[in-house]
Amino acid sequence: MMRIVIVGAGMAGSKLAEELAQGATAKLAITLIGEEPKVGYNRIMLSSLLAQEISDEDMPLVDLQTMRQTGVDIIAEDPVVSISSKHKQVTLSSGRVMDYDKLVFATGSKANLLPIEGANADNVMGFRTWQDVDRMSALPAEQKVAVVGGGLLGLEAAVGLVKRGHQVTVFHRSGHLLNRQLDAAAASLLQNRLETMGIEFCLSDSPTRFIHDTSGTVCQLLHGDGQRKPVDLVIMAAGIVPETQLAQQTGLAVKKAILVDAQMTTSDADVYAVGECCEFEQQTFGLVAPIWSQIKVLTQVLAGNAANFTVTPTPTKLKVSGINLFSVGTIQPDAQDACLVFEDVSANHYRKLVVNDGQLVGAILYGNVADGSWYFQLIQNKTKVTDMLDRLIFGEAYCQPEVA
Amino acid sequence: MAQAFQKTTCPYCGVGCGVNMVLPNTDKAPVPPVSGDEMHPANFGRLCVKGSSLSQTLIDHDRLLTPSIQGQSTSWDEALDTISDKVAQVVKDHGPDAFAFYLSGQILTEDYYVANKLAKGFIGTANVDTNSRLCMASAVVAYKRAFGSDTVPCCYEDLECCDLLIMVGSNAAWTHPVLYQRIAAAKQKRPQMKVVVIDPRQTATCDIADLHLAIKPGADAAIFSYLLCHSDRAGVVDQTFMADSTSGFDEALTCAHAATPSLSFTADFCGVSVEDLACLADWWVDTEKTVTFYSQGINQSSSGVDKCNAIINCHLATGRIGKEGAGPFSITGQPNAMGGREVGGLANQLAAHMDFATPGAQDLVKRFWQAPNMATENGLKAVDLFQAMEAGKVKVVWIMSTNPMVSLPDTAQVRRALEKCELVIVSDCKNNTDTTAMADILLPATGWSEKNGTVTNSERCISRQRGLLPAPGEARHDWWAICEVAKRLGFKPAFDYQGTHDIFAEHAALSAFENAGKRDFDIGHFQSVTQAEYDALVPVQWPVPKGQPAGTKRMFADGQFFTADRKARFIPISPVLPQHARNQEWPFVLNTGRVRDQWHTMTRTGNAASLARHTNQPYVEIHPRDVKALGLQDQGLARLVSPYGQAILRVKTSRATSPGQVFAPIHWTQAFANQSVVSNLIPQVVDPLSGQPESKHAVIRLEAIKKPLFAAILSTQALDLSAFLYWCRIPSEHGFYYEVALSSAAEVEQTVRDLKQQTGLSEHWMTYQNPLSGQSRMACLRENQLALLLYWHDQPQQLSVDWLVSKLAPDSPVLEQERLAILAGSLAHSEDKGEIICSCFQVGHKQIQKAVAEGVRSVAELGTRLKCGTNCGSCVPELKPFMPIPVEQSA
Repeated sequence: MMRIVIVGAGMAGSKLAEELAQGATAKLAITLIGEEPKVGYNRIMLSSLLAQEISDEDMPLVDLQTMRQTGVDIIAEDPVVSISSKHKQVTLSSGRVMDYDKLVFATGSKANLLPIEGANADNVMGFRTWQDVDRMSALPAEQKVAVVGGGLLGLEAAVGLVKRGHQVTVFHRSGHLLNRQLDAAAASLLQNRLETMGIEFCLSDSPTRFIHDTSGTVCQLLHGDGQRKPVDLVIMAAGIVPETQLAQQTGLAVKKAILVDAQMTTSDADVYAVGECCEFEQQTFGLVAPIWSQIKVLTQVLAGNAANFTVTPTPTKLKVSGINLFSVGTIQPDAQDACLVFEDVSANHYRKLVVNDGQLVGAILYGNVADGSWYFQLIQNKTKVTDMLDRLIFGEAYCQPEVA
Repeated sequence: MAQAFQKTTCPYCGVGCGVNMVLPNTDKAPVPPVSGDEMHPANFGRLCVKGSSLSQTLIDHDRLLTPSIQGQSTSWDEALDTISDKVAQVVKDHGPDAFAFYLSGQILTEDYYVANKLAKGFIGTANVDTNSRLCMASAVVAYKRAFGSDTVPCCYEDLECCDLLIMVGSNAAWTHPVLYQRIAAAKQKRPQMKVVVIDPRQTATCDIADLHLAIKPGADAAIFSYLLCHSDRAGVVDQTFMADSTSGFDEALTCAHAATPSLSFTADFCGVSVEDLACLADWWVDTEKTVTFYSQGINQSSSGVDKCNAIINCHLATGRIGKEGAGPFSITGQPNAMGGREVGGLANQLAAHMDFATPGAQDLVKRFWQAPNMATENGLKAVDLFQAMEAGKVKVVWIMSTNPMVSLPDTAQVRRALEKCELVIVSDCKNNTDTTAMADILLPATGWSEKNGTVTNSERCISRQRGLLPAPGEARHDWWAICEVAKRLGFKPAFDYQGTHDIFAEHAALSAFENAGKRDFDIGHFQSVTQAEYDALVPVQWPVPKGQPAGTKRMFADGQFFTADRKARFIPISPVLPQHARNQEWPFVLNTGRVRDQWHTMTRTGNAASLARHTNQPYVEIHPRDVKALGLQDQGLARLVSPYGQAILRVKTSRATSPGQVFAPIHWTQAFANQSVVSNLIPQVVDPLSGQPESKHAVIRLEAIKKPLFAAILSTQALDLSAFLYWCRIPSEHGFYYEVALSSAAEVEQTVRDLKQQTGLSEHWMTYQNPLSGQSRMACLRENQLALLLYWHDQPQQLSVDWLVSKLAPDSPVLEQERLAILAGSLAHSEDKGEIICSCFQVGHKQIQKAVAEGVRSVAELGTRLKCGTNCGSCVPELKPFMPIPVEQSA
């Protein structure tokens, strides 16, 4: 029986374990090893949990109980600390040693800690785990919270915290929020909405220093212009970096992340990597869709079947505080591109389409994203949109002939 | 339970159709759609689209409800006192000719009668003219020259039973749709019946034509001059009739030979092919039962009277008059132009078909009226009247039910005249017309369905227009207002009528007074009519002398005319072309006319949104070759410049008009569009005999308006669009719909700011920008109700705005899922009808194309499927081109 050890029980690791377990249990002995006390939960839902839109029962991504019944060994709160590829063994924090035939890295990523003076303090934290949410949920009332980073994670933390009654300020180095997904106009709609919820924004700004009190707790921060601002808690949400420390120790080939081929195989033929920790064709992955497809490929590979992972462009679909966002392709047009723009501020509805040489090359949808997948198809298929330019922005229903 | 309907008569064209109207149950309820009166001899149940839409025009919008003096509301008493004081003063200081009436073919015979009586018998001036001057004055003079009386010899039945119908200067398919439909039906029944259309343009009427002669503008008389010569050569002159019943043939023939010596000369003069002219000539000589049907294209000419007489000459020579299916048939444009003629309501008539020059007439009328101040000579005809006004000679004018600021030539002159005139009184049902804007005193008049009296149609048929609805506000009947002024001037006994039956009876009595067959117009049968009899009056063709209640279908059956020797007169005619010829500076000839679904200056039809669908903006029809040469763009804007003024109109590329000629409809006024008054361009050239203006002819130049920015604007409130280069308000079911243009895109920002300020909208705007399609759209919702919407486009285009207009209705909130559609223009998957072709059933060109694509092969099938063309039928000529060309069966 083939022994498969999965390092990391986040979304990718748990999902892989479940897929393998549902596939061919007879031949596989699966071990899923996690660092966190809770494993197999849906990390994407943490912001909803923080915002109290859902409760703990809504969190599981996989059915741990069924997995255990089918023989999967699930180990929580006991991370792998070292790997011997020579002996095909992993050693856990507890000292336990396990043999493997095939090893899968699913170590995910960690918060990108900006090198800001004074950031090393107890009340400077990331927003990554259930534990982080538990900690934020336990805060005393009306805390002054600084969120560093106006990307998706930062905004989700900010929304969750402001809903819990805290005073939240978001620092963002770019001139507009979600600058990798949105243009300035859509971002400004989003910002207006979040401001009405009570979130304060400092754009084109980043704390330059955290000032500690006598107990070593951050009590103030310095704005870029030197102004001081009192804080009770700092959330670092300035992006994520792939977790590759263990892989590097093991001697796997790592660039931005663990290098894999189309079968998700690392530089070691018996070691694979999936999820946020892997790098394929110079790309790393943060969205769910390609990671699920990696898992499908790896499941086949481990079953001895041929399968190839390919990168397909993926639209970004987000939801911030009930507002749906969709972004795909070129969103910052150059001189050759033309932009079609629809804006309905009162209804929180914005659309921008970027057209180049008769083809749709990019789209941003804010508020109403129902047409996102259709636009995505148009981009994917390089469909000529010349004949529907005057209706394109109004969506598929206006451009497709009615089916009689 | 079906409600009983009331019978009345349509207020539009001279066909004079009977209309059935069901009254609403309550005051506020809308009047249900009307239907055609199957018993009425004019229409036998048919109605055209304008008539069918009459109930839609019965709305409160812009209704004039109170008298006003210099813009200040006042009482009727105050207004009437002011008028009579002023009239008394100017008559005292400057003589009776300082006063004038300018009346209308829309007022009723009874209104006309009292106005004519007051002016000609009591004030003492013959300055009683009317917009009928613009319509058929030439036909009147020609009949009088030929017959000694203004007598229309024919009846509508003649149009159906003739074997050759020559339609000249008439687009009856659009202007007299019910007659056209009767003709079309007759031709369908008897395909051997031939129809010839003589018109510079390929009009909808050509649809049933066996032959179309696209003559040079104004060359009509030469055709008939040639036909006279040809009749003589072919030996079809009716020698007996000519000897017994006519005089002057030889002089007329000599003149005709000189004018049109040969076929080729005539064809060349008229700009038609020798073959076509020869064909007409052959048909003419071969066809005993021939009717010549003519209208404004003949009458509105500097030689209009001669043209009419050229036609009449041909009918006299061949004896084709007074017989079934034969005669020279002038068709009037207005519902009661004929009634006006009957009472003498023209400056060159006295009363009851008597002229000032008629021996004994002045005395007869004076005795009948017991008139203290008889006018003794002709008054001023329309154009002369307004020129006299500008010269300061006419100091008080009372304009009734007409819009001379739009209809008379040279609008700038008309404006100067009205500005100069000391007191301009305007009676109208509308508050805002181009003419009410010039008034010192405004009098609110009753309108159609409120007014009560009689009208006479083109076949001498007198019908009742009945007062079925209450007068709104302070609106009063025109006859009442005239009589009230007459009483204040001290003429109470002569103007103390109990009602219109009383006036009609007196009118009838005058027609019979010392008549004894001397005068054609005699309706003595009605001289003692009671109120009940008057109310029950059924349509009847005059003359209706005492003892002959059935009336008279056809005139001159006995070959007896109303000249002194009872013989009809031939008139020698030398055909001439219009007075102004095009030249290098003014290289285009402008022809004017009507569109299918509008009437006159749109004061009534402009109320009906459905009637705006067929042609929603003023346009100029230009041949594609000229469009290209001038750098114009179809649907773009062109500036028309004449020595008298300018207009800006949409370009409509069409092969219906020949190169070098353009055509523009006359309907749009400043109340509907800022730059579209076509009479601005027309010179005050008139026929020397009839005084009828040459309104269908001007020489102009055309200029392309380069790169304007177009927009459609919808608003819940009326907007001041004076900053726009061009705007046109298109009647809509709800709110206000404008099509506009700015000189350039650079003006957009300021314009939007102005509109925001005007409307006081501070809400967020929805916007849509698409540089690739040249689209820029914006809309503002107030409390989820569409308040203002602007669709800009850099190319001319017409979007269907039906759904958007529906969102201007009160209590029609824009639902959350509809917001996107506000800038898309419609709901997704909604059917775009395209341009409306059938107004009766609101069927658009895209629906028709679809049906044809799905296998529909005939207009009849199309009618079964979409209903288009099955009510009034006036869209049938436009439906035919949609049909696929049938594949010829190979032999």
